[in-house]
Amino acid sequence: MSRLIGLGGVIAYRALFNWTSPAMFTGTLLASPLFQLLFFAYLGRQLGVADDTFYIVGNAVLSASVACVFGGTMAVANERRFGTLGHVLLSPRSRTAIFLGRVLPYALNGLLVAAFTLSAGALLLGLRIPPGAVPGLLVVLAAGSLSCGFFGLTLGAIGLRFRDVWLVSNVATSLMLLLTGVNIPLNRLPAWMGALGDLLPITHAARAARALVSGQGAVPADLGAEAVVGLGYAVTAGVLLKVFEAESRRRASLDTL
Amino acid sequence: MSAIGPGTTPATTTGVRAERAIAAGASAARVVIVGALLHVKQLSRSPFEIATAFIVPLVQATLAVYLFRAGTEPHLLLEAAVGAGLMGVWSSVLFGSGGAIQNQRWQGTLEMLMIAPRPAVLTLLPVTLANAVTGTYAMLGTLAWGWALYGITPDFRDPLGFVAAAAGCVAGLGMFGLLLAATFVLLRNANALTNTLEYPIWLVSGMLVPISALPGWTGPIAAVLPTTWGARAVREAAAGGPIWPSLAACLAIGAACLALGTLALVHVERRARVTATLALA
Amino acid sequence: MNAIEADGLRRTYRQRTGWLSPKLIETEAVRGVSLSVARGELFGLLGPNGAGKTTTIKMLNTLLIPTAGTARVAGFDVVRQTREVRRRIGYVFGGDRGLYDRLSGLDNLRYFAELYGVPPREQRRRIAELLDLVGLAGRERERVEGYSRGMRQRLHIARGLLHEPQVLFLDEPSIGVDPVAARELRRTIADLAATGTTVLLTTHYMAEADELCDRIAVIAGGVIRALGTPAELKGGTGTLEDAYVSIVGEVQPA
Repeated sequence: MSRLIGLGGVIAYRALFNWTSPAMFTGTLLASPLFQLLFFAYLGRQLGVADDTFYIVGNAVLSASVACVFGGTMAVANERRFGTLGHVLLSPRSRTAIFLGRVLPYALNGLLVAAFTLSAGALLLGLRIPPGAVPGLLVVLAAGSLSCGFFGLTLGAIGLRFRDVWLVSNVATSLMLLLTGVNIPLNRLPAWMGALGDLLPITHAARAARALVSGQGAVPADLGAEAVVGLGYAVTAGVLLKVFEAESRRRASLDTL
Repeated sequence: MSAIGPGTTPATTTGVRAERAIAAGASAARVVIVGALLHVKQLSRSPFEIATAFIVPLVQATLAVYLFRAGTEPHLLLEAAVGAGLMGVWSSVLFGSGGAIQNQRWQGTLEMLMIAPRPAVLTLLPVTLANAVTGTYAMLGTLAWGWALYGITPDFRDPLGFVAAAAGCVAGLGMFGLLLAATFVLLRNANALTNTLEYPIWLVSGMLVPISALPGWTGPIAAVLPTTWGARAVREAAAGGPIWPSLAACLAIGAACLALGTLALVHVERRARVTATLALA
Repeated sequence: MNAIEADGLRRTYRQRTGWLSPKLIETEAVRGVSLSVARGELFGLLGPNGAGKTTTIKMLNTLLIPTAGTARVAGFDVVRQTREVRRRIGYVFGGDRGLYDRLSGLDNLRYFAELYGVPPREQRRRIAELLDLVGLAGRERERVEGYSRGMRQRLHIARGLLHEPQVLFLDEPSIGVDPVAARELRRTIADLAATGTTVLLTTHYMAEADELCDRIAVIAGGVIRALGTPAELKGGTGTLEDAYVSIVGEVQPA
């Protein structure tokens, strides 16, 4: 079973490389998040909202979101785009396992992106990260990436019911800028927005990462909350895909939907 | 053409030439205007384009409003709405320039455009202009949103100037878009590169708010970007300031981009004919 | 002067594959094609998929630069005098791509009339004429996304004719078109040729080629394997299909 998850993931990930070159891939996934970090860090300085640490750490954790959310969405959407969705859904293996497995490489990629963005952002803007915090940060970034990936998978499953999957993920990633407390401290947002933010991936991971970098160290609660959020999306995605599968078989509408 | 026959004087030849040049110019202008209008129509009928053009800028406007409120200058909320709108215009131009050409390729219309007996610039400028025009939906959206939800009344210092600045900004960015498009046309997956260029331009050209703390070397870059001047003109019209010099700078740089883009397209078209990158298959 | 003159056309495609260690793969799509088509002639280009038909057409209509060889269309060089060539040619390809789907048929024609330099005063009349010709009159204000395949194909043809081209390139225009529409299409093509338009047609339908073409070239593996009138190719016995299969069969191991 674990082999099925891993291998399916690797193949889907290579399919991603088929339609984009390494240079482009690097540009979108490494350069863009770094520019995003710089944008908000300078904006924060200009407007006097919060200090560099707030923006660098928060945006670094968030930087996994594009890779993971779009990755998770792609895991479902590309199957339809390339006309292979029917084959995957009709394969005798566990569909849920296949799709959950597809998320893993994207999450791993998100982790790399986040680690890169954090290092590059810290170097460029002169933030010192205590060496002792690095292992903890890696765990936090990994948790954030993984829960983003499952969030993306959920969006991908939702996207199957709409014609424009990418619209959903575009709007979702831009909402994450607003609601995860990465760019605006959550206590400065209306309560309902803050509550929504608590249900999104990244929010808790970003809080944990900030605590680690500032040397406070006490993160288990936030890390746990991030894990719960991620797990919640994994379950939601699994259920949605199962429902969709049953529905599409009944209505014979795999690719036409 | 060069020979002056009996009965014609150099003066009338010049006259004929001038007449021809005017006719050619009028015909070129028609292609650009008719083309841009039809591309706006085509774009405006795509639910995806419209939803993206509206929803994402609204999220950004909300973000800007709370950022400004959380910061030290909460009184500049109108600038937040205008700035978020400008960001939307840039996104539309950027993704339009990268994506539209790719879209033309996917639709199979790129070959039909290139096969027209016109310079490539006349077939692509309408596309990038149309993207700048549909980008103004974002501006209208963020202004309405700010008004309805946050009580930001759009009481511009110079309402007519605002319209002129917005129109000039659209024209300038449309021409800048052409230069980008010329650069993108040979790349198969241009939207990956376009993703990269969204934030740096917002940042360096001070679209949401001019940033005084940026490193010195970004200054010259900002000075040659039409986005800097366009955004400045629009902001000046909204908040007060000399609109026209900024607007003139935006249009002049835009025209320079158009000239460069025209030259680049000649090369690009030839290369595309060699490398067979006009069609999808 | 011939409408189309091609001399030793060759075209090689280079393709990069792999992203870690990119390899350059070269494919020779066309390996020396020479042909000449007289004014007003209806010339057919037959051959299996991948034989080089489309590549040949795209070299003649200026979309591709030949790797070697030269060609002239309406007397102008297809590599250097593109503007002159483009003024005089129309290009129609099969399938349902190549149109602005969210615009009406009329808007599509208006835009391309503008692009192809139809004088503004003549546009309205010309478009109306063509809508009549291809049988889309009355449907022109509907969006193309709602058109059937046959309607799209007819719109393609109307667009190709907007600027009254001297030479018309038709690349598999009848692909996916139903039999009734295909017959209409053949009549339109025959009429065009009868009124002096030179037509270069590629098709997979032997009956179509047999009925329409003055001369036919069978192309396979990037070279012309046979060239002649349909009667010459058939050699007095059998159908064009028999002749085609025996010509192509020699080179296709499949």
